[in-house]
Amino acid sequence: MIIGARPGKPSKLRRLIAAAMARDLTTFIIPGPEIVRSYGLDIDATGLKPVASPRHASVLLVAGVTSSALRDAAAVIYAQMMRPRALFALGAGELSPLPPADVIAGLSQQGLIQGVRQLRDAFAEGAFRPDVSDFDAPILHVRIEYTCPMHPEVVQNAPGACPKCGMNLVPREVQADSEYLHTAQHKAGSSTDIPLTPRPGQSDHHGINHDAAVEYTCPMHPEVIQSEPGSCPKCGMYLVPRDAQVESSHDHHDHAHSQEHEHHKMDHDAAIEYTCPMHPEVIQSEPGSCPKCGMNLEPRKTQDIQTHEHADMDSATDHGSMDHSGMDHGDMVFMSMVDVTKDLPRSSDGLPMEWIDAPFGPFFPGLPGGLLLTLTLDGDTVAGSDARPLTDNLDLSQHPPTDSTSFVRQLAGMDPLAPVAYRLLAYRALENAAGLDVPAGTAAARIGAMERERITSHLGWLSLFGQQSGFNWLMQHAASLQLAFLHADVTQAMALKPVMQALIKRLQRTPLLKSRTAGIGRLTADTALRGPVARASGVNNDARSTETACTTLGFTPVSREGGDALARLHVHLDEISHSLVLIEAAGAIELPVLADIGDVSGAGETMVETPRGMARLQLTLERGQVIAAQLETPSTHHITLIDSLTEQQSLGDALMAVGSLDLSPWEVRQ
Amino acid sequence: MITAQALYIGFFGLASVWFGIVVFRTFSMVRSALALLFSQTALGAMFLSMQAEFLGVLQIMMMATEMSIMAIFMVMFMMDPGGLGKMDMTHQKRLSLVAGIVSFVAAVAVAVFVDWGPVASVAPDAEQQVVDLGLELLGRSMLIFETAGITILTAMIAATAVAIPPVKRNPLKGTANHEH
Amino acid sequence: MTTAFLLLLLAVGAYLVAVIEAWTSSGRFRLAAPAFAALALLGRESIVPRKSDRVFFETAPVLLLISALLAAAVIPLTPDLIITDLATGALFINAALVYVLVALLMAGWGPNGAYAMVGGWRFLGQLIAYAMLIVMPITAVVMRAESLLTTQIVVSQAGLWNIVYQPLGFILFFVASMALAFLPPFDLTTAKGELAGGVEAEYSGARLAVFRLGRLVLIITLAAATVVFYLGGWQGPWLPPWAWSAIKILAVTATMLLAGRYMPRIRETDLLGWCWMLGIPLALLNILLVGVLVLVLP
Repeated sequence: MIIGARPGKPSKLRRLIAAAMARDLTTFIIPGPEIVRSYGLDIDATGLKPVASPRHASVLLVAGVTSSALRDAAAVIYAQMMRPRALFALGAGELSPLPPADVIAGLSQQGLIQGVRQLRDAFAEGAFRPDVSDFDAPILHVRIEYTCPMHPEVVQNAPGACPKCGMNLVPREVQADSEYLHTAQHKAGSSTDIPLTPRPGQSDHHGINHDAAVEYTCPMHPEVIQSEPGSCPKCGMYLVPRDAQVESSHDHHDHAHSQEHEHHKMDHDAAIEYTCPMHPEVIQSEPGSCPKCGMNLEPRKTQDIQTHEHADMDSATDHGSMDHSGMDHGDMVFMSMVDVTKDLPRSSDGLPMEWIDAPFGPFFPGLPGGLLLTLTLDGDTVAGSDARPLTDNLDLSQHPPTDSTSFVRQLAGMDPLAPVAYRLLAYRALENAAGLDVPAGTAAARIGAMERERITSHLGWLSLFGQQSGFNWLMQHAASLQLAFLHADVTQAMALKPVMQALIKRLQRTPLLKSRTAGIGRLTADTALRGPVARASGVNNDARSTETACTTLGFTPVSREGGDALARLHVHLDEISHSLVLIEAAGAIELPVLADIGDVSGAGETMVETPRGMARLQLTLERGQVIAAQLETPSTHHITLIDSLTEQQSLGDALMAVGSLDLSPWEVRQ
Repeated sequence: MITAQALYIGFFGLASVWFGIVVFRTFSMVRSALALLFSQTALGAMFLSMQAEFLGVLQIMMMATEMSIMAIFMVMFMMDPGGLGKMDMTHQKRLSLVAGIVSFVAAVAVAVFVDWGPVASVAPDAEQQVVDLGLELLGRSMLIFETAGITILTAMIAATAVAIPPVKRNPLKGTANHEH
Repeated sequence: MTTAFLLLLLAVGAYLVAVIEAWTSSGRFRLAAPAFAALALLGRESIVPRKSDRVFFETAPVLLLISALLAAAVIPLTPDLIITDLATGALFINAALVYVLVALLMAGWGPNGAYAMVGGWRFLGQLIAYAMLIVMPITAVVMRAESLLTTQIVVSQAGLWNIVYQPLGFILFFVASMALAFLPPFDLTTAKGELAGGVEAEYSGARLAVFRLGRLVLIITLAAATVVFYLGGWQGPWLPPWAWSAIKILAVTATMLLAGRYMPRIRETDLLGWCWMLGIPLALLNILLVGVLVLVLP
């Protein structure tokens, strides 16, 4: 029995189909394949097929504890899936607003395998049921509002005609409570026809991005007022925008009709107009501030530009015969695309297109799970972006004070992509505050554990890179290596060395790889950068250089020039090789438990080079209890780079740039 | 006597006209462009039923690319390509009407008054047509086709050149800048 | 009769393509997997997204399938095993394949989603670039055969296959075919890590099944066209003609499918740039070279 079964009485044919479905389970993974692998789960081995679109998935796999924002997004994904659909929870705890899980298992490979077996049975038996209730969740509720396709600023709750141009308003859906979550612009219900993304050219009109109502008027013919940019039907000049007055937008119709009789009834009240020193196209008849930059407008005489008067008045000869019934734009007589689009924002390719907001994430295949990236697309070009983690932000203010063990557990559980690094960070800070010394053997074993995590983390990133760039072999190979390294001891790690070297060699010979990554997401050397991202830009910034335990093992920081995705790929590969050397030198991979720090008070500060770069932790101990802590993480800065890296890039390049930053949304401090 | 061939010609002719009407009856720019495509495709099918195989296949092939390109430009430059605002596709009605009638009369006049030469009793088979067409293109009609080809190429290059935006395009902006 | 038999062969071929494709993408060779996948797709709900352009959404998968089938109609497997040996066969393949573009345009626009939309326009942007790389090499092939008949094209390669006679044309046609069937590394239209399936993203259930079937037929048709134009069609020693056709077609299909597994997706700007600035001049050069060869060689 599955809750998301397809309505229908079981028949012979349906039973056959259900049996086939049980053999062909496709899955959409939440929060993401690289995170699920970091839990040690091998999805491939179970025969579940990961897919890129929720529409093609039959199983929603939720692994690990997720934040409420992620669960809301997951509910949208679930609603987008086709029935029969099943929910498979692996150590997921609270699931609401998702429906109860069809199969629940522990967060282990054993649990995964058993769970998949149960899922197959459940599909074979219960893919079709006559009584199926619909799925519903608050996040899916939408209300309908009406907007004009030509005037995005016109928004009403009821259908009707646009007060500016008379066109019929079109309905669009917005989320009932105006949360920011973009994935949830889709409407819901159980009928599962929620679009994956909002309609291009429909629901999100960024075409004209005016905040206030703006109308357009001719500098020469003030009686010409229209709601569109364009040219004056009388003289052909470009119309200039001005703030709409309430009355004028109502009697627009009259203007269109009476134009011809008003040829010479002009500029009685336009002797002085006000314009912005920075934006000469801003012209109003009253003093005020510029709608574009907020500067005070300066007065000037209209006569200055009247030399063009009547230049080609005849351009509107056909005006009288125009059919006004449908709509009456002044400029619809000769609809010049150049005029209509001239005020639209342009992207680097120079083509003005309608802008659409498309969500990429928080579970987008090829981007780090938990990262919600919203790109404003101008055709295939990114015109703007917004990136935010939807993961929970670990509260480190420590009220009430926590003991050292639970503090370590908190920090180690924060980022599933780097649990060892943050555990080590907590250890070190506590030891530092307590004034404990670490024996050399322990320090080496810790380095071994850190470097192993670096390898798995980098391999996870490589796999994600392969997935995003459609490089299937890399995606699979790096993923299986990641799993192999996850719990490897020194001998096992050394046994994997030749495989790793073969992978690196192969990547150096891969066609198209260079052209795919070179020059993308270029970052100049900046001391705020961290980790591989910094070292790819030639910044020799590695916390390990300051650790004697590391340098005695022969550590030298890896560094590359270029600062683009290619350099970052090389840095990741170089670091994997170098980590293997360090593991060999350390001779042990272990993260010994924290020694009892006792009943001490004091302050500690330390840093650890996590796989993504240096993290810094400051904490205050009072009688063995942590009372305050402050954490700095590499991804917190890197996520702010997305905007400049994606701006005016083509979609594929922008995603590659974001991916190459190797972000972990889990460690972003908000 | 109505032959199968006449039936086909009639059918595709009507389909062509119908799709032509759909171009203006829809509100969606993309539908409009593709309706035009299917109108042209029906025309190609008409050529096929008239046993002009090469011409028909060529028409069907060329129009698909051309109309798709038109569709992309529609979507790029129109504010409401989905036609949600139910914008009327017709404008300049009187002019269009006049132009339409004039060209129709002209086409009919050409069809009726031009001396088309003796009517062939049997159309040559398709293979022979291809050969004939090739010889024609490299013979008497060579100059015409080469001229047309060069003209189109020139137009393409010129259009690209025009599409590169000039440094200063807004006259108002120019004056205003000068002032301050 | 021939038609029914060929459609059956095409279905078998499409099935084999699905098996090979699953093998290249997952590394597992399972003969039954596509059958299960197809049944599962048919059993799943198939919805039309709200506010979609329903006519386009419904037409696109069918049009994709039809255009691939039409292109297959003029491809000979043996001298007699051909649905219709059109006098304009080589041109007809082109005409049919162009409607793949129209189908994807509809599939991109229809479903009311940004991923599909970008996927559709990407395909359109590219096809204008590489459609030339399909047409121009075919032109050179036709020049050698001195006929548009596909059977005549195969016969013209009796002495020397076109892959040797005009290797440049073969490479261009092969690459352009892969791009036309949006096979990796040219899968910009469906780009999984970039567009979450692109034009396919909003399709589900039976409609997705038709769409994928159309694509499989397209792949096998293009492989068969490559065989007819460049690899001597049914010709070969020892084995009967049909066996040679089958072996060659499957080999070409496997090569097309395998190539993408070992490289990342090409950048869209690179693809466009290379097609326009490198591909088209090379295709013209190919025509020139073949023209000289045709005149010089007896």
